[in-house]
Formats: sequence, C-alpha cells, structure tokens
Amino acid sequence: MNHLYLSYPNPGGIFSNPVGYWVIVALAIVFTLFVLLTATAYTVWYERVLLGRFQRRPGPNRVGPLGLLQLAADGIKLATKESFAPAGVDPILYLVGPAVMVAAAFLAWAVIPVGIWWGFSYWISNINVGILFVFAVSSMNAYAILLGGWSSNNKYSLLGGMRAAAQLISYEVALGLSLVPIFIITGSLRLQDIANFSVHWGPYHGPIPLVIVAPLSFVIYMVAATAETNRTPFDLPEAEQELIGGYHTEYSGLKFTLYYLGEYLNMVTVSTLATLIFFAGWHPNAPWFPAFIPFVAKIVGFLFLYIWLRNTLPRLRYDMLMRLGWKVLLPLGMANVVVTAAVVVALTG
Amino acid sequence: MAAVIFWVMAVVAVLGGIGVVASRQPIRSVLSLVVVMLALAVEFLILSAQFLFAVQIIVYAGAVMVLFLFVVALLGPMKERRQLRFQWGLALLVALVFGGFLYSMLGSVPFRAPQRTALSVFGTVQDIAYGLFTKYLYPFELTSVLLLVAAIGAIYLSRGGHGIQARREEDDRRA
Repeated sequence: MNHLYLSYPNPGGIFSNPVGYWVIVALAIVFTLFVLLTATAYTVWYERVLLGRFQRRPGPNRVGPLGLLQLAADGIKLATKESFAPAGVDPILYLVGPAVMVAAAFLAWAVIPVGIWWGFSYWISNINVGILFVFAVSSMNAYAILLGGWSSNNKYSLLGGMRAAAQLISYEVALGLSLVPIFIITGSLRLQDIANFSVHWGPYHGPIPLVIVAPLSFVIYMVAATAETNRTPFDLPEAEQELIGGYHTEYSGLKFTLYYLGEYLNMVTVSTLATLIFFAGWHPNAPWFPAFIPFVAKIVGFLFLYIWLRNTLPRLRYDMLMRLGWKVLLPLGMANVVVTAAVVVALTG
Repeated sequence: MAAVIFWVMAVVAVLGGIGVVASRQPIRSVLSLVVVMLALAVEFLILSAQFLFAVQIIVYAGAVMVLFLFVVALLGPMKERRQLRFQWGLALLVALVFGGFLYSMLGSVPFRAPQRTALSVFGTVQDIAYGLFTKYLYPFELTSVLLLVAAIGAIYLSRGGHGIQARREEDDRRA
C-alpha cells in the first residue's frame, strides 16, 4: 500500500524519513481539502451562471468581477445565520446526518488520483481496491440522507429521505455493474491503472479513452451517477414542488451548508471518476502541456453536462425511476458484462 | 500502530454490539449495528484484506443496513417499552449458556500468526477472485443458488402465488 505516491521524480529523501513522510501526508490532505472546497464553491457558481444563461438571464454578477465572490458572500451569510432546530428532532441523529454526508464526500478523495504535470500525478492513498473504496464511502450517503429525513420530525423530510434511500440502493447496483467491463478490460481496480490503460493498436501505442471500447458502460454510468447524486432528472428526494426541500427541509445555517457542500462535492467526484475511468484522466499530456489542463477541462466538461441535463430534462415520476433502474439499466448492465467478458476472452484467449 | 487500531476498533465493535441490544429505540439499534459493521471492516483492513474491507462496507453497511433502517423508519419512531416478565433472568441465562459454549470451544481453536510472506498478494481482488473461481467454485455457486431460492421464495410470498391467493380470498370472505 503506497501512501502519497509521486511517480517521477522518484520518491526518496524526505519520504524515507517516517516523520517527514507523515508531514507530507498531512500537508497533502490539507491541500486536497483546500482545493476541493474551492472547486465545490466554484461548481455552485458555475451552475448558477449556466442556469442563468440557459434561462436567458445574467445569473450572479453583482459580488466581485463576474460574480466570482458570490459564493464567499453566500458562505458568510450561511455561517452567520441562526442555527435553528425545530421542536421534536432527534438531537443526536439530527447532527449526525449532515456530518456523515460531508465526511463521506471528502473521504472518497483519499484514493482519487489527480494529474498535475507531465508524468507527475498525485494521490493520498493508492490501495488495491481504489474504486471499491469510493463506492464504499459513497454508499454512506444513504445514511446521511435517511437520518436527516428521519430525525427532522417532519413528514416531508421523511418522505424525501425514504425516496432517496430507495433510489440510492437501486442505482448503486447499476453503477457497480456498469464498471465491471472496465475492470475486465484493464484488469485492475486502481484508478491510476485505469486512467493509464494503454493499448498497442497498429502504429498507435499509448493510453486511450476507455469510452471507445466500453460505450454502453459509459451511458449506464452517467445515468446511474446522476441518480446517485440526486441531480435532475433524478431529484425526487428533494422535489421542491411536492416535498418543500425533501430531507433537508428542516436544516438551516451551517448544517444545511454541509448537506449542500456534500451534494456538490459528490457531483465533482462523479465527474472526476468519469474523467479518470472513461476519458483517460490526465492524458494526453507532454512536457510542454501540463497534465492538469486536460484533466480539469474534462471534469468541467462533465459538470457542464450535468448542469445542461438539469436545464433540459423534467423530473421523472417515481415509478418511472424504479422501472428505469431495475428493468432497463440493470439488465443492460448485466448483458454488457457478459458480452465484454466474451469479447475479451475471444480476443486475448 | 496496528495493535492500537485493532484494540480501538474491537472496543468500538463491542460497544456497538451492546448498543444493538440495549437501545430502546429501534433506529438506534440499527445504527449501532452499522457501527459494528464499520468497525469489523477496519479490522479486515488491518489484516490487509482490502477487498473484504470494501465489500463489508458496500454490502453490509451500504445496502443491507440501509434496508433495515428503511423499514424501521417506515414503521415509525416507536420506542420499545414492553418487557417480558422474566426478561432479565432469561437474558442472563442465555448469555451464560452461550458464554460457556464460547469458552469451551475457543480453547480448541488453533490461533496462528498470518503468513507474512504472502501479505503482498493476500486479500487483493485478484487473490480472492482466484480462490472463488478455482478452489471454492462449487461452494460459491451453491451459496448463490441458495440466495436465488430465497429471492424466488420472497417474490412468491409477496406476489401471492396460486395457493396463497386462494387462501387470502378465503380469509377476506370470512372477514
């Protein structure tokens, strides 16, 4: 198990010293947290600007240049708001809900590699089961939402929490199945290995975006990931017309901020995973073309896609949601696994 | 380091287990069981069984326990107030019997230190997959048949098969 692995230059020096090693790990964690918080804030800004553009209005443009400081203003407002809890809530579980949400969202980044420079990528931990770890911590989201909905002592919250739990469990299966062909093709669950997967196709030697060889996986992944992050058209758990706000109806101030933060961070996480798994992560890069440019560009592209979906598609009805998950995505995912396995065996023997 | 984590997680797991039986609210019991599952997952990780760690969380904590929580939350936040007449005495008796069993059986279990040479491959996905699809293929497939039978049975009961439907109609007529 390799913590904080810096590919080239060769780790040595401060890394061989046990104290220096942990100092580096701590610094890496702080750096990751800082970058993620900033990225999440600007994802919210990006969504609001795009929502405005899609609806032919300017969007946030008052606080700072281009409205870039809008999120700082919103953050200060939310942090200084009175933290109000309605009567009859379960005092402990009411707090556990948002805490679990934000902890699960950040923990996933312990194994997600980030491309920075040519031949130089960065991650906190490089475990053998990388992507399963991401699934494991993101499955804790169901608790955050269900506990928030249950402990609020409000029937709309409870309904939202129930819908969310059923939806998360249904689509987790499809999400997991959609990635099995990727594991069959690359033979690894490490996100680094998947992003660096290379082929020798005639004159071409090098990494390829796996979406070429597993397009159906990509489609299933995108649909299931949208459902997992409760984004429109799968935002039934927080359908504001019928449930006010769903599971976070009774939350305000910082506790609401935690739910909000977790939700947008999950959106960034699934976009990053899609980039790493299906679009070759930080490739192509060269000494004069830093790896973070294609990496960040692809993530922003996926975020744009999510926001575009939100602006285009109406919300599904509950029975349609369940039918899509169990009767369409699940059989498709299974057929995809069987066909991919057969093709891989036929080609490689 | 590993020993410290082991003992911390062992204490957490036992406390969670006590929480499961001692909580008056069903939802607290379910959450205590989640804590037990998570603590056990960390113990797997210390034994360098990374795959078991992830699967323990995904399957038990992430899916099975969410369904438990779902059912408990649907049935309403009822506190359990009823107590049987001799509950404490009965509980003590059962605990003593099981404690005796455990004590007498643990003496005959051989404890071995893990084989350190194999730790780099032990518990990896490839290692477990190799075991599942070669040496343990038939037990593995038999277990999945068992699960399939259980699933079919559950569907039969909830959909109301031939006999069940007739019996239900009879019950309705009587009522």
